Amino acid sequence: MRGLTREYVLQRFLMYLLTIWLGSTLIFVIPRLAPGDPVSEMVGRLSLDAGYIENADKLIESWKARFGLDAPIHVQYFRYWGNVFRLNFGYSLSHFPTEAWTMVSDALPWSLGLLTVATVLSFSIGVTIGSLMGWRRTPRWLQLILPSSLTFTAIPYFMFGIMLIYLVAFELDWLPATGAYSRRVDPGWNLPFIKNVLTHAILPVVSIVLTSMGGWALGMRGLMISVNNEDYFLLAQVKGLSPSRIFFRYGVRNAILPALTALALGLGGLISGSILVEFIFAYPGTGYTLYQAIISQDYTVTQAIANLIILVTATSVFLLDLLYPFIDPRITYKRDMR
Amino acid sequence: MTVGQRTVDESGTPARGWGLNTWDSPWLNFKFLLGVAIVSLILLFGLLGPLFWDTDLAYTGAGPLNKPPVWQEGGLPEHPLGTESNGRDMLAQLILATPSSLKVGFLAAIIGMGIGMVLGSVAGYVGGWWDHVIRTLSDSAVTIPALVVLVVIASYVQMTDTTAMALILAAFAWPGPTRLVRSQILTLRERSYVRMAHLSGAPALEIMFVEMLPNMLPWLAASLTGGISVAILGATGLEVLGLGPTRVPSLGLIINQATTNAALVRGLVWWWLPPIIILMVIFVGFFLMTIGLDEIANPRIRQFSSSRRERTAAGEAPTVVHGDGGIGGGEDAALEVDDLHVHYFTPRGEVIAANGVDFRVRKGEILGLVGESGCGKTTVAMAILQVVQAPGRIVQGAVRIEDQDLVSLSGRALREVRWRDLALVPQGAMNSLNPVTPIREQMADAILAHENVGRLELEARILGLLNDVGLPERVIDMYPHELSGGMKQRVCIAMAIALNPQVIIADEPTSALDVVVQRVVAQTLLEVKERLGVSMVMIGHDMGLQAQLVDRIAVMYAGNLVEVAPVESAFAEPLHPYTQLLIESIPSIKERKPLNVTEGLTHDLRNPPPGCIFQFRCQHVEQICRERRPELVEREDDHLVACWLYEPERHSLIELEEA
Repeated sequence: MRGLTREYVLQRFLMYLLTIWLGSTLIFVIPRLAPGDPVSEMVGRLSLDAGYIENADKLIESWKARFGLDAPIHVQYFRYWGNVFRLNFGYSLSHFPTEAWTMVSDALPWSLGLLTVATVLSFSIGVTIGSLMGWRRTPRWLQLILPSSLTFTAIPYFMFGIMLIYLVAFELDWLPATGAYSRRVDPGWNLPFIKNVLTHAILPVVSIVLTSMGGWALGMRGLMISVNNEDYFLLAQVKGLSPSRIFFRYGVRNAILPALTALALGLGGLISGSILVEFIFAYPGTGYTLYQAIISQDYTVTQAIANLIILVTATSVFLLDLLYPFIDPRITYKRDMR
Repeated sequence: MTVGQRTVDESGTPARGWGLNTWDSPWLNFKFLLGVAIVSLILLFGLLGPLFWDTDLAYTGAGPLNKPPVWQEGGLPEHPLGTESNGRDMLAQLILATPSSLKVGFLAAIIGMGIGMVLGSVAGYVGGWWDHVIRTLSDSAVTIPALVVLVVIASYVQMTDTTAMALILAAFAWPGPTRLVRSQILTLRERSYVRMAHLSGAPALEIMFVEMLPNMLPWLAASLTGGISVAILGATGLEVLGLGPTRVPSLGLIINQATTNAALVRGLVWWWLPPIIILMVIFVGFFLMTIGLDEIANPRIRQFSSSRRERTAAGEAPTVVHGDGGIGGGEDAALEVDDLHVHYFTPRGEVIAANGVDFRVRKGEILGLVGESGCGKTTVAMAILQVVQAPGRIVQGAVRIEDQDLVSLSGRALREVRWRDLALVPQGAMNSLNPVTPIREQMADAILAHENVGRLELEARILGLLNDVGLPERVIDMYPHELSGGMKQRVCIAMAIALNPQVIIADEPTSALDVVVQRVVAQTLLEVKERLGVSMVMIGHDMGLQAQLVDRIAVMYAGNLVEVAPVESAFAEPLHPYTQLLIESIPSIKERKPLNVTEGLTHDLRNPPPGCIFQFRCQHVEQICRERRPELVEREDDHLVACWLYEPERHSLIELEEA
């Protein structure tokens, strides 16, 4: 009755597949709905640069055949799915001998590290601030200070990042502006390298955390206020429990559930925002690689990254979903009481 | 249980409407209006700018290169905000770029909202298969990282103008509004006025627009302003990456050109900073609008912040006037409530919810506290328990258990008395148990907060308590949602007797249960009381139930006690006209009698009239009733009433005054 039921897992798993299917299909369909096709456009641009290309038509056709763009659309779609399943995205167009997948998997750890740290920090700080803001017993001086932590909430991550680079890296010269580590350290499991990586991560992490934690705080504040008015919250007071127990076991414990749902739903937006942060900080993660693939018109890498990001997002949401029944016993409740 | 606020609403304060022209309209929210003002200013800058400034300067080669703004050394008055590396005038660029960024946001969010309203209404109103499909689609679409897909799309499709971009962005703006509209419709269609409209045969669209839309408006508006800033963010993101329309000036494009031309390193602050500032101001504006609208849509948030303000204004420390003396000796009293005054400090004045309530509960007896809804009986219960919710406050009086005044206690001292001496069986057993923890833990924390008990002993004790109220042992590891309403209420009773308290307050313990379960719960309460010899205050409006359960009955009207009597004499010979009315209203199976409803409503609780509080509904009202407040006086043996009818000297009293 409690924990994971097969029905629930199955339902969430179908949702997981649906998300991946929807995202990947969008990536497949929308470019094909647009007028023109990538190959003609590329050749067109090449001929603009070179002035003239011999047998441009034949070139277009042979490239289309090379990429399978001459097949009927449903055949293309099935082939596309076959490739997505085997994680086979072909060779990178800009770094030819390298496979697209290799480039992407090199970038992935950087993004995962940056985002995991930033998300965990921003969510936990935000939830703490919001819980205290929505609690009647929070000391008054704290109630007055807390709202100031929301100052940067409305600002997009990357704009804050630009200003941080200018102020902290260029004007004050406290921290490095771009990249994930300096050239002068040897990559590996040694202390100087780890320290170097950490100092490089500070600015990107700070720009994400400071601008996103206010959102969690505001949401959590509203949820705490609702819980404050619940009957069980009042009964806990009447029971003479200590304020800290009421706050954690009765307040936060209940209010955090919708916040976790919001976290699962908000992961996509978080990852979107991090692309720009990586671009601004030239951080060698998937976002920055995506940007470089786009300016060098490396379609295979672009597709590989987009699919990977969708996969990672959907997987994180799926994992959160699987965790949820352990936190909220009501979620898998079935009406058959024994 | 009724938290004080509801009592106030029921007692004549008109509910706040959404009307736009009342002086305290919720739309007059400071944050919301500030946000509107900020966004309007930015919009005016973009729209009126071309009238005052030559926007042709925004194109390549119109001026000298890399000039700083006019207030810096080397700045030129003809380029007040400076120029960038292509000689373009910054002011002209900003004027052209601002409205196009706003336009994309508005367009995308409005289209997304339109799609969302259609899909959400279908899902919420039609339901069934449609609901399932739409919900699943929007749930999964909302988790797709939109910008990634947008970037991929933009890398294939050259976006020529802002409209094309807005259309593509709208493809990602619908899931939020869809989810919102669906859940709002599901909530609203259960409301009684919407059901009424259904029953009266109003067409679905009319119900949608007339009954539902006005109530959804603040939510929709918050979703729209939130959606606009997300869309602007998406568009700006694409532009910053150089994937937006390159021929139309936009704020993101200026940032893109600045960063790709190394403006940061070269110190050309006036190139990259102004577009960022404008964008930040726009985002702050929409953000203020969104949180303002959230407060408008969610009265609880409003109430929370305003009650805090009022508490601060009224001075946080309660200035309680401690009364002493009062009627009757207190030797055999388990609980003494002494001249209790509770006021609610609302923006429209002080609501007097309890006005000098004074009674004793004797050891081992059940005192019934009855009265119509809104008369203040739950407020009295909350005041006894010291949990009157803001903006309410005990302004005078004492609540004594064993000569200890609870009103003067606070912090640890109060916590120690709670539950050990004074327990509660709550009104809403449905919601009185913490939904996410098993029964074991909720019973254990009540015990452990007051006693040091080992693990094994604790378990044995909890099982014993469950057994006492007739619940099977397996309940200990169940969650509240796995129990029926009656079982939950019995868990609450088991919890209340866990520490063998002096007094239990039972706040309408059976009101939400069906009749059969009501009997079981009432029976359980009686058994518990008999076995433990505990004293009880039983709050309720069901006179029939009270007649069977209580020893003495206290009748409350508009914040005042009007009669306190042993239950037999109260029913056999009710003295106060209000008590008589209450007893007449008990339906009888044996005879059908016309329901006796008196004309006239309760007075405004903010200004009680001089004289008797029941004068407007009383059939026997006399001159003195309009002038002097009757005291609660013992007229017969142990039978107290606050009514002039039983004062033989009343005529001479009033003549004396006139003379």
